[in-house]
Amino acid sequence: MEQQPPQPNDSAQEKTLGFPPTPEAGGKVPPRPARRPPHEEEAPTEVLNERGQATAAALGRVVGSRASSSGGRDDIPWVLVMPDHLFEVLSLMKEHPETKMDMLHLLFAVDYLDHLQLIYILASLSLNQKAMVKVDLPVAGDDAQATVDSAVALWEAAGWYERETHDLFGVRFEGNPDMSPLLLYEGFEGFPGRKSFPFNEYTEY
Amino acid sequence: MATEYDTGQTPETVDMMLNMGPQHPATHGVFRMVLAVDGERVVDLVPHIGYLHRGSEKLMENETYAQVITLFDRLDYVSNFNNELAFVRAVEKLMDLEPPERAMYIRVILCELNRVASHLLFAGTYALDIGAMTPVMYTFRERERIQNLFESVSGARMMHNYIRIGGIKEELPDDFVHRTRKLIDELRRGVEETDKLLTFNEVFLARTRGVGMIDAATAISCGLTGPGLRASGSTYDVRKDDPYEIYDRLDYDVPIGEYGDSWDRYWLRIQECYQSLRMIDQCLDQLEPGPIMPQMRRIARPPKGEAYAHCENPRGDIGVFVVSDGTNKPYRVKVRPPSFCNLVALRQMVQGSYIADAVVVLGSLDIVLGEVDR
Amino acid sequence: MALNDPSNPQGQPLPLFVPSKWDREKQGHFVDSPEHGESSTGRGNRPAANMLPQGGLPGVITGKLEQFAALGRANSLWTLTFGLACCAIEMISAHMAHHDFDRFGIVTWPSPRQSDVMIVAGTVVKKMAAPIKLLYEQMPDPKWVIAMGSCATNGGPYYRSYSVVMGVDHIVPVDVYIPGCPPRPEALMDGIMKLQEKIKRDAKEGPSAQPIVASSEEPTPNEATETEEQETHGAAASST
Repeated sequence: MEQQPPQPNDSAQEKTLGFPPTPEAGGKVPPRPARRPPHEEEAPTEVLNERGQATAAALGRVVGSRASSSGGRDDIPWVLVMPDHLFEVLSLMKEHPETKMDMLHLLFAVDYLDHLQLIYILASLSLNQKAMVKVDLPVAGDDAQATVDSAVALWEAAGWYERETHDLFGVRFEGNPDMSPLLLYEGFEGFPGRKSFPFNEYTEY
Repeated sequence: MATEYDTGQTPETVDMMLNMGPQHPATHGVFRMVLAVDGERVVDLVPHIGYLHRGSEKLMENETYAQVITLFDRLDYVSNFNNELAFVRAVEKLMDLEPPERAMYIRVILCELNRVASHLLFAGTYALDIGAMTPVMYTFRERERIQNLFESVSGARMMHNYIRIGGIKEELPDDFVHRTRKLIDELRRGVEETDKLLTFNEVFLARTRGVGMIDAATAISCGLTGPGLRASGSTYDVRKDDPYEIYDRLDYDVPIGEYGDSWDRYWLRIQECYQSLRMIDQCLDQLEPGPIMPQMRRIARPPKGEAYAHCENPRGDIGVFVVSDGTNKPYRVKVRPPSFCNLVALRQMVQGSYIADAVVVLGSLDIVLGEVDR
Repeated sequence: MALNDPSNPQGQPLPLFVPSKWDREKQGHFVDSPEHGESSTGRGNRPAANMLPQGGLPGVITGKLEQFAALGRANSLWTLTFGLACCAIEMISAHMAHHDFDRFGIVTWPSPRQSDVMIVAGTVVKKMAAPIKLLYEQMPDPKWVIAMGSCATNGGPYYRSYSVVMGVDHIVPVDVYIPGCPPRPEALMDGIMKLQEKIKRDAKEGPSAQPIVASSEEPTPNEATETEEQETHGAAASST
């Protein structure tokens, strides 16, 4: 099903698809953008640009040794912290004058089969920067649930995000006053966001 | 006549629970609000969502990147191009791909036209919620013009599936520039018509001025973005603060409100329409012929990694986080829906106001349930 | 010549007034009308041939009382405002000035207690299934349901999702299905018109009429002339 990748700038192999027209063929050719190197052979690089590096530096100063690892792409750096330090790190990032993250932009979980990763994307509107805080929760399989401190005290937006993550991934947030199902109906069994939830075993009604 | 009721004490009252159920003419979709009312005053509000939770994110993990774009169309079903753009930008970040200039200009033109269409729909249905049945006819007539243009570009009035990874699907029709220039004039007159009908109308002002006020700090803490936040005085606009595509080459203003009430939120959107039309004019001037899609594989296979991209939806800040594992299907796609976050602020805005004001505030937030529930 | 006419002293019965274009030999087929005689509505403002009694008086229509009631119901369908998702936007567009629904007598009415048709426009989610059933039960008879869009027909683009009901006919009986994602307002109008025909046909022939399948070999008399239009517009409607 896959097409042979075109090799436009390789003069040895003049393999053309016939479209778009080439100047040799007499057609009008629009200026072609520089071709990127093939993606598959490239090692994945997550590179921070200037803005991202400045934010990463501030992040490093604020979070300090609580971060197990860090990285980032473009202008959003991330740090990985332990679940115990999570609330501390989040409140530091909210209060510290170098980061001043006043908005919780997004909170969600990713299911990497042997663990769940919670990702908090925080935004600072005053300093115009963004950062991510990641937490690895050792949860695997169908039913096990992990518990994390809730961020509702810091940002009100966390309330609904946490309810949604609880619905879909089964992460319990302690301190959230209302953990009733948000998106799913009462009595839904299972956590549909997880990869272990079967995709093809749906019921019509 | 002395009865056993004349005890000299005031009777005990309990708040009444009023259910504005999933089917309601004024709730903009399947949204349920349970109001605790004391007489006519709303004491508390509990929103219930999930009546349109279709499991898009799980579905997206089982579809190729091109198929995911069709699912994104249906998230915020009023502003389709903006959603597609958010996802496509995230995948382009993953693949380190920059679309050709012409594609970027065309994307911006279509997104801004979609913004005008979305705000027109907002204005019409907002007036309908308040009780004015005429403006909705006018705004939908203008929307039909825009949708006609979209149909000539992408083939569909609503679910376009036109913005693709790397560029756009196909070249614009020959008469697009000419038609769009005419359309901009017609739209300007159309938006002005609605503007004149509603904006400084006494009844409209009485219903919306001072209703649902929220200050910037609370709004930011609730995650409110877009016109809802800008009405409270904050200047956060993704197009200015984090420019993407070719927004940094355009000259436009971002309207900012003063009091954070429903009228400000409405007025902002009307002003944004005018600014969008200005932007489209400039884009058409700067549009040059060129390629619309770089040379790349037909089936997108981004390298392993994750990327986050966000765009300015007519409702706020739509963000898309894509985790890729190297195959042709994404590993995880997470959408940050602006309406979801806007709804968190609803409770704060409505507490203490009348029941009828709850409808007004909900309308001014301009939520689209497809996005809230995904 | 009236009965009291002095030129007609014996009061002979009046000669039948024959319109010049009416061909008596073709018993009810008008000369200028194509072979649409079997349709329940004739062309233009004349009654259709099947409504005229054989060899009877001109300009007189006879029918069952239910047929006239059905005429009334079909031409004044009040739809429940029940837009669930994206199809709702096209439904609203259909009600608005460009593709007007009001000219069909259709007004959108928020209360189920006073509406006739429930146009299920959008994806039906399992959480919403109970309210839909409740709304259907709250509507008084006679009532009809139109499943608009592919989500309401069979789940649509969300076919394998864990939380979607694959089609609203799992919950309520559907009369007309309108495919499309979303169907154009013209397609919705076509669906409504087919519902109108169904209402009139059911009154004439009885409620459990033979189901019409869009691609069947033997279209019913109403469909005979319209299959081509269906293929062009792509807005087939099949009824259960």
